[in-house]
Amino acid sequence: MGTISASEVYCLIGEAHERGERVVVATVAHTRGSTPQRRGAKMLFFESGATAGTVGGGCIEAEVWAEAREALRTGESRLHKFSLTAEAASEEGMVCGGVMEIFIDAWQPHNAALI
Amino acid sequence: MNSSEDETSDSLLSEKIKRALMEGAVAALVTLVEGKANVGAKILCEETGALSGSFGDEKLDEAVTNRAQKFLLARVDAATYKVEEFAPQLDVWSGARVLFERLEPEPRIVVCGAGHVGASLARLAHAVGYRVTLIDDRGDFVRHELFPEDIELIAATNWSEALRANLGTGRGVAVAVVTRGHNEDEECMKAVLAVNPDYVGMIGSKRRTNIVLERLREEGFDENVLREVRAPVGLDIGAVTPEEVALAILAEIVALRRNGSGAPLSAWRRA
Repeated sequence: MGTISASEVYCLIGEAHERGERVVVATVAHTRGSTPQRRGAKMLFFESGATAGTVGGGCIEAEVWAEAREALRTGESRLHKFSLTAEAASEEGMVCGGVMEIFIDAWQPHNAALI
Repeated sequence: MNSSEDETSDSLLSEKIKRALMEGAVAALVTLVEGKANVGAKILCEETGALSGSFGDEKLDEAVTNRAQKFLLARVDAATYKVEEFAPQLDVWSGARVLFERLEPEPRIVVCGAGHVGASLARLAHAVGYRVTLIDDRGDFVRHELFPEDIELIAATNWSEALRANLGTGRGVAVAVVTRGHNEDEECMKAVLAVNPDYVGMIGSKRRTNIVLERLREEGFDENVLREVRAPVGLDIGAVTPEEVALAILAEIVALRRNGSGAPLSAWRRA
């Protein structure tokens, strides 16, 4: 699963909204230290379970996935902090050791008020 | 917030962003990511000054749009600031945080010539995330089964026409001229320099590229434009194979776009 371009992101959001579906967009808002993705990197989560893009692999993606599922359900947007401390990173077999703040944001379709 | 008449709805905003990107516009998308209220609210600030959306406080909107213009000048992809960092007078928003994201059309590379170097450059640039157009006048060299499907392949009957049709305004576009011969290179260079894209590179030795540049000078091309041409093309990484040459060219294109020096990051150790 690779990175996606800005035009792909907003095309995919548009397509999901046409289907009347909510989309959750996870964006790397802030990083400190060594992290697996740049600021601004995005991962999209769809109601079908499909995803696009990446905010960095490994254990972070699993945690982001769980928060994104929750946001798909509730429609609430929130900033989450994920620590990739050296100990945690080595336990998880990850090479990075920084902090990532990821904004998990629910983009509502037009008729969201009716859901 | 989510009624269908609401001009700031997520659907309308994503449509606006999509349209701006298609038109080649540069914009900042600003999102309130932390705060006591309105988390997730967005403002789209276009470089032209056009605005959509609101954080529900005119003063904050104004401070954010001013900051957005500064952010766009800095050429970074994304950054998060506390409101007090750019608008300390708005103490009701103290502690709130705002994410600025740069929106711009995907960078493009147009490769003239699908020989060993051109084909390698097209594949490599595609892997790095550039939108790639590969042009050759030999249809056999730009067959679809040879390349990943989202590389745009053009079998040109006429180089100049193919380039005119594919360079657009030249903004955000890098062009590598790596055709099979110097006559073809020269024909391409004339069409490319007429548009003057962000990056123009031409393959060949110092001597051979000088001959082409001299001819272009005689044709009346502007000296300042000719001086910017990267010929011989690429960074000096000692490239030998076509794939290595492609890497040297792509490295130069990335360095130009990201404002890199091309020097080793470790040089300070030996300074």
